[in-house]
Amino acid sequence: MLKINNLHASIEEKSILKGLNLEVKAGEVHAIMGPNGAGKSTMANVIAGKEEYEVTDGVIELNGEDISELAPEERAHNGVFLSFQYPVEIPGVSVTNFIKTAINETRKAKGLEDMPAKDMLKMIREKSELLEIDRKFLSRSLNEGFSGGEKKRNEIFQMAMLEPKLAILDETDSGLDIDALRIVANGVNKLKSKDNAVVVITHYQRLLDYIVPDFVHVLHDGKIVKTGDASLALELEAKGYDWIKKELV
Amino acid sequence: MSKYTEDDLELELKTKEYEYGFYTDIESETFAKGLNEDVVRAISKKKNEPEWMTEWRLEAFRVWEKMTEPDWANVKYPKPNFQEIAYYSAPKKKPKLNSLDEVDPDLLETFKKLGISIDEQKKLANVAVDIVMDSVSVATTFKKTLGEKGIIFMPISEAIQEHPELVKKYLGTVVPTTDNFYAALNSAVFSDGSFCYIPKGVKCPMELSTYFRINEGGTGQFERTLVVADKGSYVSYLEGCTAPQRDENQLHAAVVELIAMDDAEIKYSTVQNWFPGDENGKGGVFNFVTKRGLCETNAKISWTQVETGSAVTWKYPSCILKGNNSVGEFYSIAVTNHYQQADTGTKMIHLGKNTKSTIISKGISAGKSQNSYRGLVQINSRAENARNFSQCDSLLMGNACGAHTFPYIEVKNKSAQIEHEATTSKIGEDQLFYCNQRGIDTEKAIALIVNGFSKEVLNKLPMEFAVEAQKLLEISLEGSVG
Amino acid sequence: MELLKDKILSSYVAFENDININSDVHDIRTEALENFEKLGFPTKKLEAWKYTSLNSILKEDYSIFPNKCTAVELADVKKYFIHDIDTYKVVFIDGKYSPFLSETTHDTIDVCLMSAAFAKPKYKPVIEKYFNKVANQDNLTSLNTAFAKEGAYIHIPRNVEVEKPIQIINFSTCADITTMVQPRNLIVVEENAHVQIIERHQSLTSNAVLSNVVTEIFVDKSATVDVYKIQNDDINASLVDNTYINQKSNSVASVHTFSFGGNITRNNLNFYQNGEHIDSILKGVTIIEGKQHVDHHTLVDHIEPNCESHQDYKGIYDERSTGVFNGKVIVNKEAQKTNAYQQNNNVLVSDKATINAKPQLEIFADDVKCSHGCTIGQLDDDALFYMQQRGIPQKEGKGLLMFAFANTVLESVKIPEVKSRITKLIAEKLNVNIGFDL
Ligand SMILES: Nc1ncnc2c1ncn2[C@@H]1O[C@H](COP(=O)(O)OP(=O)(O)O)[C@@H](O)[C@H]1O
Ligand SMILES: [Mg+2]
Repeated sequence: MLKINNLHASIEEKSILKGLNLEVKAGEVHAIMGPNGAGKSTMANVIAGKEEYEVTDGVIELNGEDISELAPEERAHNGVFLSFQYPVEIPGVSVTNFIKTAINETRKAKGLEDMPAKDMLKMIREKSELLEIDRKFLSRSLNEGFSGGEKKRNEIFQMAMLEPKLAILDETDSGLDIDALRIVANGVNKLKSKDNAVVVITHYQRLLDYIVPDFVHVLHDGKIVKTGDASLALELEAKGYDWIKKELV
Repeated sequence: MSKYTEDDLELELKTKEYEYGFYTDIESETFAKGLNEDVVRAISKKKNEPEWMTEWRLEAFRVWEKMTEPDWANVKYPKPNFQEIAYYSAPKKKPKLNSLDEVDPDLLETFKKLGISIDEQKKLANVAVDIVMDSVSVATTFKKTLGEKGIIFMPISEAIQEHPELVKKYLGTVVPTTDNFYAALNSAVFSDGSFCYIPKGVKCPMELSTYFRINEGGTGQFERTLVVADKGSYVSYLEGCTAPQRDENQLHAAVVELIAMDDAEIKYSTVQNWFPGDENGKGGVFNFVTKRGLCETNAKISWTQVETGSAVTWKYPSCILKGNNSVGEFYSIAVTNHYQQADTGTKMIHLGKNTKSTIISKGISAGKSQNSYRGLVQINSRAENARNFSQCDSLLMGNACGAHTFPYIEVKNKSAQIEHEATTSKIGEDQLFYCNQRGIDTEKAIALIVNGFSKEVLNKLPMEFAVEAQKLLEISLEGSVG
Repeated sequence: MELLKDKILSSYVAFENDININSDVHDIRTEALENFEKLGFPTKKLEAWKYTSLNSILKEDYSIFPNKCTAVELADVKKYFIHDIDTYKVVFIDGKYSPFLSETTHDTIDVCLMSAAFAKPKYKPVIEKYFNKVANQDNLTSLNTAFAKEGAYIHIPRNVEVEKPIQIINFSTCADITTMVQPRNLIVVEENAHVQIIERHQSLTSNAVLSNVVTEIFVDKSATVDVYKIQNDDINASLVDNTYINQKSNSVASVHTFSFGGNITRNNLNFYQNGEHIDSILKGVTIIEGKQHVDHHTLVDHIEPNCESHQDYKGIYDERSTGVFNGKVIVNKEAQKTNAYQQNNNVLVSDKATINAKPQLEIFADDVKCSHGCTIGQLDDDALFYMQQRGIPQKEGKGLLMFAFANTVLESVKIPEVKSRITKLIAEKLNVNIGFDL
């Protein structure tokens, strides 16, 4: 599904990704771990097409197609979803209005009619129940005054609504309490299928207890420096990253 | 979910060009250009007005002659030559008013294009529509329903004939003929407009609505509106403007007077979309409006406006809070794009005790436009415990436009509590990226963010106006990002 | 008003007797006089003077070239100085230099007189480069420029951090005539230099005095200038204080204005940011009563990107006093990433007092953060009740709350002696016993 080859990216002349390789197949769950500042969010943003980042080398393929030249919304239309580490606030725009616009714009790009209001409402109801979101919450302005946990839950709600092929969750677990973590993880698991894939960026094993990864990668200094199975995450939790850094020198 | 359906809106939001730019070909009778006492007399005669009305106009004209056009507003435009304007224009074919079927088919076609099909309006929105085509009312509906409640809603020209005592008593009491240059001009030459009277204790069961259009080339339009809400009554009044696209600058100088007697409430909502000129600043309407309301004890007046049109706008809907405990509100969205210039805001004059006012102004500037908020909050020495809250937010799009805030605050009473806040911002890159990531393209994202920015005001509009207003915001800002 | 104007215009010839008329400076003066002749005194018809009328003070038959009227002993005026620290002093009595009260220097820096700077060739390059270069052409500035002759001349060369603050003090003493003075100051602070200035106008007579002051300040790259204006004059003295500050990149300039005294006080404080990463700070406390009138007109012109401005003005108005705050922030098209903040808070203590505020923004750049807030209100009732509950009588409680309200502006005063002097003045004005000597 996703194939990243020798990706180099920089921001403001500062090189951040330095030859990153990653392959994610349909039906897989990948976890990306790594110290602060390693470039995890950068990787997520570059896949999503944030313009501030300059891709200096490498390819990003989605389903065999190079997406490097696509606008962020076109990538989204192709099924890329990024759950932001820091979701932005948009004053005055309700969650419902926002997600409705997002869905219909995506449908429009695919040559489909707008989703009928009835279906939309039904879907909103289902997905908000799945994520145990109070419907009152949906009429509030997007992310404005939301707690950290509410913002993250709202991201997963949008993911549920948009049904992406490739979901990248950037530290979706930080800021969540134990209950919320379970709800969000359950939500993600329910949405998982053999046709889609999930990339989870996290610092903590506790999320991976719920969303069990097929692969765990360690991202350090702009490169994937180690790949293993779920047990690697446990090892990292116990030992930190220093041992890997040492292995490298 | 918000109360109006975004799905409906969705469909309507597709229009690209200034869609109301067309010209209705109805034969008109138009006076020769120029203004003098004889023209004023002729207008009055044409309308069969009583002597007192003719005198009232002449008095205004004499005052106007001695006045000079004001230039304190933050707008630049070629001053109109007032002798180059025709001051009267009326459709020749006067349709009978028994039913809409008898209205000129061209006219009905016009309304269809405007998307304000009267049948639809009647059925869906429960709105009575008094249509002003050029300067003479040509259709009035719902008269009967209103009549049963004793509500008078008719063209002011008719009201002068049928209810002279009411018109005589209130006309010019809130906006005196001498008030300002444009108000004086309007008083001298106004052709028509609306009159509305709500009797004591009556809650008007429907939104009253007037759609204005300028139609005849080179015709200035001088509307006159007078709304009187008697004690304990309530009315919500909608005014909407759309104008045909044309090259010549057109002058529009309306006067609106509101009177809310003890315990009465008037909501006055406007969507203004006169032709703004093209993207090179050519053409467009000059809109110089005087709107003012008077509140007696416990009365309330709310002005809500969405200003997207006109090349030049000069407009300050105001409240005189004369009675104790009276309340004034002003909610405004002003969008300027291309070469538009808007200088708009409000005056809240606190005279009575415990009077309260709220001002929420949202200015959005794009293109090469200039958008100014100008407001006055005045607390007089006897206005104990007066309160005002003002918030003026500006959103700038691009680096060739300007946003200006000129609030005047004058306080002569120590118990007053005034809070004024202003902010300026732009649409953030990260907001746009967030929307893009969810599949929303940049143009759409801007529309969404602008709507969000304006929400506090949009929410104050009656439902059917809110939809139209959202649509207008989007159309007005089209092409404003590179 | 017209009489006074005529008198001023006709006395120009006499003025010319006293000065060198064959100079570039004099050409500037003559041009300014013509400008003043054309514009006359400001009236309320001008937007900038909408809330301040000078009519009542322009009726006086001011003497335009007062002779030094009364001898002044140091002991009599010591209290008007910040005397508990070592400072340079440039002191004028009725517009004339007082060597006896002054302490000037030419050691590394120049702290001396405009008359000397105009006269001596050594200063010519500085005068040519800076004199009247940032001051604008409005009515009263032109009037001052036309009669520009005396005032403080301060020049701080590169990299010099001036250790002692500089006090500029103008006394008026004439007992039998009313006087009008036109002090003109020029302050040039070169790259990376640092100076602190304390300015005061003080009348020692109960006769009417009108001071029309122009101060030009040039703050070069990375330089820092802090100005403290103490306005606590006699009730018959009026002041129009025009200050123009031109800042270059990375410089910081602050002006604190403390307005407690005087009859009519008008402050025109203008900042022009000609460079990047500039910080401009404008703060003020106004506490007045009786029929006093204080008008703060501020302008911050953001011309280039990445600059900041911070304005914070507090006012307390008692009896029949009137306050005006007109703060204008312009952000030009090029001035992206500007941060401009403006805050104006007022308390009316009496039913007869008036406040007129006009905090205006004119923004032409889109990527900026600008905000202004303006409040007019009363003291916090809950806080007052809290104090009363703890046994503080209402009157004292109110005083303390007002003191606290005004005092926040003092936090940024960098000279401790100025801070404690102002604190005392505020306490005195508000009848608050601060309990211990600060
Ligand atoms: N907008 C930006 N401007 C400058 N540096 C940035 C920007 N975004 C990220 N960086 C830098 O890039 C590096 C990687 O950041 P990030 O991808 O956020 O790391 P992680 O998510 O792994 O903690 C850090 O050193 C960070 O400071
Ligand atoms: Mg990160």
